Formats: sequence, structure tokens, C-alpha cells
Amino acid sequence: MGVSNTKLSSKIYTAVIFAFLFAPIVILLIFSFNESKSLSVFSDFSFKWYKELFNDRSTLESVKNSVILALAATAVSTVMGTAAAFGIYRIRKEWYKVLMNTVTNIPMVNPDIITGISMMLVFVFVGQFFGASTSLNFWTILIAHITFCLPYVILQVLPKLQQMDGALLEAAQDLGCTPFRAFFKVTLPEIFPGIITGAIMAFTLSLDDFVISYFTSGNDFQTLPVRIYSMTKKTVTPKMYALATIIFFITLSLLLINNLIDNEDSRNLRKIKKNRKNKKYVLAK
Amino acid sequence: MHNHLIEFKNVSKTFDTTEALSNINLYVDENEFLTLLGPSGCGKSTLLRLIAGFESPTDGQLLFEGQDLSSIPPHKRKVNTVFQKYALFPHLNVYDNIAFGMKIQKKSKKEIEYEVGRVLELVNLKGFDRRSVDSLSGGQQQRIAIARAIVNKPHVLLLDEPLAALDLKLRKDMQIELKNMQKELGVTFIYVTHDQEEALSMSDTIVVLNEGKIQQIGAPCDIYNEPRNAFVADFIGESNIIDGVMLENYKASFSGHTFQCLDKGFAEGEPVDVVVRPEDVDIVPEGEGMLCGNVTQVTFMGVHNEIIVDIGGFKWMIQTTDSVNVGERIGISLDPDAIHIMKKSEYSGMFGDYSSYSNELDELSDPGRDE
Repeated sequence: MGVSNTKLSSKIYTAVIFAFLFAPIVILLIFSFNESKSLSVFSDFSFKWYKELFNDRSTLESVKNSVILALAATAVSTVMGTAAAFGIYRIRKEWYKVLMNTVTNIPMVNPDIITGISMMLVFVFVGQFFGASTSLNFWTILIAHITFCLPYVILQVLPKLQQMDGALLEAAQDLGCTPFRAFFKVTLPEIFPGIITGAIMAFTLSLDDFVISYFTSGNDFQTLPVRIYSMTKKTVTPKMYALATIIFFITLSLLLINNLIDNEDSRNLRKIKKNRKNKKYVLAK
Repeated sequence: MHNHLIEFKNVSKTFDTTEALSNINLYVDENEFLTLLGPSGCGKSTLLRLIAGFESPTDGQLLFEGQDLSSIPPHKRKVNTVFQKYALFPHLNVYDNIAFGMKIQKKSKKEIEYEVGRVLELVNLKGFDRRSVDSLSGGQQQRIAIARAIVNKPHVLLLDEPLAALDLKLRKDMQIELKNMQKELGVTFIYVTHDQEEALSMSDTIVVLNEGKIQQIGAPCDIYNEPRNAFVADFIGESNIIDGVMLENYKASFSGHTFQCLDKGFAEGEPVDVVVRPEDVDIVPEGEGMLCGNVTQVTFMGVHNEIIVDIGGFKWMIQTTDSVNVGERIGISLDPDAIHIMKKSEYSGMFGDYSSYSNELDELSDPGRDE
């Protein structure tokens, strides 16, 4: 009796949690296919708003902008982040390592709005210093995005480096690699899953960002979230639902890929650990 | 002009404030099987890493074929290493692991294929080319690690406790195989281990290290029969080390008795350490013994019995095939060649007394040694 009660209540609890999490998205999804504009009556199923969305030039332009920005920010922050992680990994002084880790984490814990405003100030200040008429453009928002993506890449790559057997690098050098070459031939393949995860995170974060983008983008380069925000100031048309639905599924698939990689990785790790245990067992015998 | 292959001249190595190696003088000759033996933390691995180039000496000079090594980075040295945990590249299969060094040297594909096949045969793993290294057992991984190193035809092969992770049976087999391989290849092996049996059975020369200092260099039988100090006597095999006095050449006194021995060159009345190996002690009836004592412990070891005898308060370990019982009073007799006299050293009095000896304790402390 008591057991089935707790079972039931835990089931209800789970159901409520999922309802809260997914109901808004489901409603959005349903009404993106609604014929009418009404949010209370589902009159008929149609792709009307999707069609309208694909005819909206400036929205599509902002989608393109967002993707270009996300790709650029991902590429730069992945390369920089991997290099930075390797640098931090090689630090021998403990206090210096802690310091670098903390500095790295600041953009992550700092509220976006503060990062956004402070970066805008820097850009405007530097822009004025060099006498530019408009100081916010594609490059400023790109720099901002790289800044907040960087720690996430480092955070994904650094543990992979720490898991790696340090003797592998020595073995590569022992077999004739320069340290530089050893990095590409041995370290890079070892930490590759971490780099991919970091890149995917950077991509989604960049695509998703509104607050920092809002402060650091100029009028000539509008990202999708900024565009949506400016549209909601007028009236929200259901074509925004359509857009949101599409974005949701893109993000979802990226997340799935990411989790699959992670899963594969941890499975390998478990396998290695199991092997080690077996070896110890043999030794003990 | 002598031509040693590798020569250490007053080499020291300090990490932060701790001295890992102090004033090492050592040479290694062509085709030698040299073993660096010592407990963990004695500096033996550091010494190996100096040769490989992963560390550089704080002081002194390291010569390779007469040339100073200090400015030569690891990837340009004519040595290859077999790492303790093998350090095989997990993202490459067996073939690519072995071919790694030759690919760096831009050897032709045909040559690489031939050489990989040759060394795989040498390590008895023919047909394993396409296997992933994760799928191999410890012993197989170990062979691949050796194959990966020797395929580059190094002048010197450095082996850092390569058998430490294998179980006993496999370890014994690999010892023999490694020794044969060394003879076959004609390559100098520098072998690091903390396992004294391994060192005795494989080496041409053993270098015993402790606390960063060389304790003794010599052939295995010299190290075993004529240890220079109490540390060496205790670390290599079992030893009873007794305080004694040298009366004159060939005559020593200890445990209240005067013994004939084969040692000379000590001052008259000089205090010395006397080493008696447990297997060199003869058990005789009580009345006929040079010394007498009570048996306090008997352990059956298979080949022999290990017994502890209390002789005048000092506990001796004796290995015998005779059967004796706890509480029995026995006599012991020592031939002159069973006695080895050592000068007093900083290690005097620290080793060689079995009064706190117990098999259980030994086993408990063993895993720590393995790390």
C-alpha cells in the first residue's frame, strides 16, 4: 500500500515536471499549424505561417546572419579554446593554474547583461577613439560571441586532456615527433570528442544568445533572436511560432548528437576502467 | 680514449627542493643488459628519463657515444622507450602503433610493411596487425610496446618496469623472452625494476640505487654474494646482518663465537657488518653447532622451510629443507664461504634482523611497492 502510493506520487511528480517543461513548446508547435491567428481556437491545420515565414525576407536574412555568426564564432572559439585548454593543461604551478581556471570561468558566471553592456561600452569607446561613425557591426558581435563561447570549449576540452595518459605525448616524442607534431598526431585525436562537444555547445550558445547580441550588434547586422524581440514589440504573428518550432527541432537534434557522442565516450571510459580492474584482479591473484 | 655508449659524469637531478639523483657516475657499454634496481622513489626512473630526454640533469654531464646529450631533444635521440603502462596510442591499431616511428621518419610503405611484419613475428603476435590496442591483454599490449620501440632499431632500448603490470607466470615468461630478444637484436637494454629476482635473472650488470645514490654496481652474482652494504644485502635476497668485529685477516667474531671467513683487508678489531644468507646456514644437532638457538617460527614455502631462530636475542632467518619444529633447540654451523664481511655504512643496523619478521606484514606492504 505504502509502496504503491510512493510509486504513484513519484509518477505524478514526473508527469507534472514534464508538463511544465514541454507544454509551452507543444502549444507553440500546435498553434504554428493553426489556420487562424487565434490562440484559443484551433480552426484548421495549415502550413500557412510557415509559407509566410519563408516569404519574410528580413527574418530569413536574420536567420542567415545568426547561422553565419554562429559558425564563425564556433570556428574561432573552438580553435582558441583548444589551444587555451592545452596551455592551462601544461601549467605546472598550481596557483597559476587555479588563477587561469578562475579567469576562464568569469565570462560563464558573469550575468549576460553585464557582459553585454560592458562589451558594448568597450566597442563604442574604442570606435570613438578611432573616429568611426558606427562602432557596432558584425565584427563586434563576433568578438562578443567568441568571448562567451570560449570558456565552454575550454571546459569541454580540458578534462579530456587531463584524462589522457601523459606518457602518450612522451611516447610520440620518443618515436621521433617534435612536440608540435606530437600534439597533432596524438593529443588531438585523443581529445577530439571534447573538441566536438565544445564546438556544438559554442554553436548552440551563439545561435541562442539574445542579451549579449542585443547590446553588441549594430543596425546592419541583426541576429534572429534580436529580430524576434524587435518583432514582438509590435504584434506577434503565428509565423514566429513556426520559426520557434523550427529552431526548437534544430536545437534538439544538436543536443541529441551531443549526447550520443558523450554516451559513446563514457562507454569507452567504462570499458577502460573495467579492463584496469580486471588487470588488478589478475595481479592480486 | 674509452668508448662507452652512455656515460654519466657527476650527474645530479633536483626537483624543486628534493634531490632525486645525486652525483651519479655510471657508464653503459654496447650490447649490455644493464638493470637499474631499487625501491620506489630511489631515482631509477628519473635516471632513465634523463637518457630518454624527458628530464635534463640539474648538474653534471651525460654523454652518448662521447657526445654531450644536453642540447639534444628526445625526438632526436637514438634511444627508444618501453613505458611502464605501455603508452600505446589508443586511436591507432596495432599496425599503426608499430609503424608510428617509421612513418615519422618517412620510410617507404613497403619497408614499413616488411618491418612491422618482422617485429610482430619477433614478439609472437603475427596476424594482430588490424586489432585495436584496447582489445589486447596486458601481456600482448606489453609486446606491442616492445615491438613499437625496437622496430626503429634504437642503439639503446630503455625499459621502465615493463613487466610490473603482468601477473607472475606471464612475467617469468616475458623475462626469458626479453633476455633472448636482447641477445638476438644485439641492442643495449637499460632496464628499470624494483624486482630483485628479475634483475638477478636477466642482467649483465645491476646498478643498485637508493635515495638517489648508487649503492653498488656489479654483475648479479657479485651483487648477491658480495653486497657492499646492509642496504644492498637486504634488498637483494634475504640476509641476516649481524654486528661483528674483524679480529684479523680471515677471522671474524660475532654472536660470541669466532669464525673462519674468506675476507681480508680490514683493520684489526674493526667493527663490521656480517652477512649470512639464510640458505647458507647448516642446521646441526644442538651439541655440534657453533651457535645454538630456539626455533620461534616455521613457515612452509614449498621448496624449503623458512625458520626463524633466536640466537642470543638476535633472530636469524634460515632456509632449510630439514624439518624442524617451533620450540626445538638447534645448533647451526657456518662454512667460511657462507660468511661475507662488509664495512660499516649509513645503513648499518637498519636491516637484516628478523625479530619483527612476519609473512603477513610482508604481504601487506607488497602492493605499495608495486605502485
